[in-house]
Amino acid sequence: MKHQPPKWALRFLEFFLRADYSDEIQGDITEAFYWRVQEEGLFKARFKFILEVLKSLKPTNLKSFYHLSLNTMIFRNYLKVAFRTLLKRKSTSFINIFGLSIGVAAFVFIFLYTYQIFTFDDHHQKKDRIFMAYKERITPDGTQATYDTWVPLKDRLISDYNQIEESARYYTSSASIKKNNRYLEEDIVYTDPSLFKIFTFPVIHGNHAMLFPTKNSIVLNEKTAIKYFDTSDAVGNYIEVFLQEEDTTLRYQVSAVIKNHPENASLQPRMMIPMESIPIYPELANSWNGSFLETYVLLRDPSDAIQLEADFPNLIESIWDKQVRENTNFKLLPFEEVYDTFFGDSANARTLMAIGIAILLIAIINFMNLSTAQATQRAKEVGLRKVLGAFQGQLRTQFITESFVMSFIATVLGLLIVVFTINPFNQFFDLNIALSQFSGLEIIAASAVLIISLGILSGSYPAFYLSSIGAIEVLRQKLGMNASTSFRNILVVLQFAIALFLIASTIIVSRQINYMANKNMGFESEAILIINASPWSFTDRELAQTRLKSFKTELSNKSYINDISSSRSVPTSWTRSFVFVRPNDWEGDPLRMRYTYVDANFFDIYGIPVKYGRNFLSDSEGDQRGSVILNEAAMRAFEFSSEKENTIRIGDNEISVVGIVEDFHFETLQNEVAPTLIFHRVADNLAAHNTITLRMDMNNLVERIEEIESMWNELGSTQEFSYSFMDDRVANLYEEENRYLGMVGLFSAVSIIIACLGLYGLTLFIIEKRRKEISIRKVLGAEINTILRLIFTDFTKWVAIAFIIAVPFAVYFLGEWLESYHYRIDISWITFVVALLIVLGLVILTVGYQSLRAASSNPVKYLKDE
Amino acid sequence: MNLQLGTLEEMILIILLMKEETYGVEIAKEYKNQLSQTISLPAIHVVLKRLEKKGFVESRLGEPTPERGGKGKRLYRATNKGFETAQELQHRRNEIWKTIPKLNFSLA
Repeated sequence: MKHQPPKWALRFLEFFLRADYSDEIQGDITEAFYWRVQEEGLFKARFKFILEVLKSLKPTNLKSFYHLSLNTMIFRNYLKVAFRTLLKRKSTSFINIFGLSIGVAAFVFIFLYTYQIFTFDDHHQKKDRIFMAYKERITPDGTQATYDTWVPLKDRLISDYNQIEESARYYTSSASIKKNNRYLEEDIVYTDPSLFKIFTFPVIHGNHAMLFPTKNSIVLNEKTAIKYFDTSDAVGNYIEVFLQEEDTTLRYQVSAVIKNHPENASLQPRMMIPMESIPIYPELANSWNGSFLETYVLLRDPSDAIQLEADFPNLIESIWDKQVRENTNFKLLPFEEVYDTFFGDSANARTLMAIGIAILLIAIINFMNLSTAQATQRAKEVGLRKVLGAFQGQLRTQFITESFVMSFIATVLGLLIVVFTINPFNQFFDLNIALSQFSGLEIIAASAVLIISLGILSGSYPAFYLSSIGAIEVLRQKLGMNASTSFRNILVVLQFAIALFLIASTIIVSRQINYMANKNMGFESEAILIINASPWSFTDRELAQTRLKSFKTELSNKSYINDISSSRSVPTSWTRSFVFVRPNDWEGDPLRMRYTYVDANFFDIYGIPVKYGRNFLSDSEGDQRGSVILNEAAMRAFEFSSEKENTIRIGDNEISVVGIVEDFHFETLQNEVAPTLIFHRVADNLAAHNTITLRMDMNNLVERIEEIESMWNELGSTQEFSYSFMDDRVANLYEEENRYLGMVGLFSAVSIIIACLGLYGLTLFIIEKRRKEISIRKVLGAEINTILRLIFTDFTKWVAIAFIIAVPFAVYFLGEWLESYHYRIDISWITFVVALLIVLGLVILTVGYQSLRAASSNPVKYLKDE
Repeated sequence: MNLQLGTLEEMILIILLMKEETYGVEIAKEYKNQLSQTISLPAIHVVLKRLEKKGFVESRLGEPTPERGGKGKRLYRATNKGFETAQELQHRRNEIWKTIPKLNFSLA
């Protein structure tokens, strides 16, 4: 018997087959194997052997499920006891499972939300090597970063620096795209073929290697392809693009279609054309005058960035001169930091994640406290088991099993809560999160990790503690509980501290947002309607001028329109254009300052007071060219005095300052009011203006807006009628903050509810334990309030300690959060008093009823057994 | 009498009648000898269980042997009922066989 049949196959059979069939089947197959080795050779015998093993796995031959496990008797016993314990102590189990499942649900929500932020742009495979080139102006007040760069910078970087592998320019413009004889507004990106080597844009249709085979190629994303061609495979089709900034119509052929971009991506190009195809490109190709596009670079090694930045001053000098070198820095922004620089604050996401973990922690503490508090009741069980021969390890396994059963039920329930409430959650916070962004396997794996870590975290201390209770002490009724009591107290203090911290944070965040939302913006926002009316959104701009003009005249004749004004930008979406300017008598470096155009009616319609000097004269040609109005911030920046006449210089043009307006907040209060130059363009000069502001009579609003809309539709603009109210726009400035406040508030409330639940459970046990003490005190003549004081003293002490711990944390972390707002509230002590009162109030509510009942109960009931 | 018996069931029952007492591997060998066709053991096992359930065979545990990996055999033996059923089937088949008009199929 040289050759053996595979042993594993037999073990496999042993495991699955019914005990009464197993021997016969295994024996027969084995015997046949040896017989076949001689008759048919080893290979065939082995093959048939395995085949027969598999064929033997017929349902009739299998063990019933109940018997199907190795040595599961003891494990099944653990499970059985765990379920019994859960059912026996219904209130505790409810508190544990309910608290934990809500905690899990909150954690999952927070995770899904913050995951989008933490994985922002992660789909770009070379993310760690991608940088964005930008420049810094060195001004007397510090450095000023701007992210617009020059057309020739890309080629210069590649030719001068070997460390740079690829570079691409990226400029977002707007275009009108022809579809069925109508023009639709689209964002269009001018870029370079190298963009696709730097970033990961998966190609669905078209040639991966050559995305821009000709100059007139266009790359679409799937959504856009379907929008224009009703199919994602739009390769080869032609598309007619009217480029508004170039004032030309060009024909492009679709060369590739890329996948739709994930939500959490900084670059979301929907149509891309090669920059070289723009008619004006040859003029700009070598121009170092205007900087307006983004330049991305791909380094061979990310650590080269420091070396490159150190060498950039030489590059600057070789492009311009020594003077520019003195006041300009070139920098490389790691792509990693793009989110924080342009989109939001990942610190807020980290805070939310911390809250999520805190919520889970509170729920875990509940479990630990309630299990150790039950120790007296379970001590007998433990003692008896030990007497009957259970090892400490076995007892530990049993208690751990209980916590696993609990964490399993809670996690499943928590996920169900998520599934059923994710839609309202998304609607409420205006988000787009979904479990479906993960595969089923990932969700199962993550749940398993959650179940195991929750089970171990919440179960290990109670298991260790409960199993260490000595059998003899228990049976002699001598159970010292001091160690567990003090540990439990620490945990309760921790819960209170977290709750206090969260309440204080909610109060501070909401006060800051209220402060910003209610602070006088410095302009009037009531009853003001904004219409986007840019001459750029007409295919024929000559015609646009006259049409918009008659549109305005028609509007001003309406009785319900009290006032009308045209301007380049309006508060809340203020100008992003900059110019270099200096006071006429300055010899120093010019300042880089924002500028915009308004008509003479602008300050009246927004109620912005002219502090010194005068407003623009309406319909004055001289006023249009030679005068400017500053805001107070600009006046301070120029160090002008209000007494004398001031002039500024832009290049060689001298411009006299005719007036100074009071500062008004044209953007969120997060930023300080920036110095702005405001130039005059008469209302009829529509090429300078993008928006029309109307002061309306707010009655019958719906019909009136419909009327204005139908007037707009007759103009033949490529753009649909779009309007907004100024007060809405002001409120929307704080959308992100309000969402943050909503989440912090919601999850703080959740954590406090869970903490209160735990407290309630703990009170039940404490009172139970002190029943006799209370009864004896009552018999000896104690008043109800004496007894209440007895119970409340402990809780008050804990809250006090928690308060002392929580306050410095809150002051530090929220102080840091407030730092990012230029106009901010001070953290006042009242906040903490309010937080303390809320927590004390909740403690009294939670503990009070039970205590009162205990204090007023009839002592005889509990003493009659003695 | 219930004569529901599959072809394979009948064949194995006949092999069992042939041998005094036998088990899976022997049946497989005999089957191969008689019919020059191989059969897998799990197939035999299923049939044996079915026959046993119908009461045509009975079984007992045998001794373990080394070539069986130390596992015991299950030895099967046909019951009287099994014998009668097989005989009845055989008889009826012969009756039917006789009714075939031989002239229609020339033996030449």
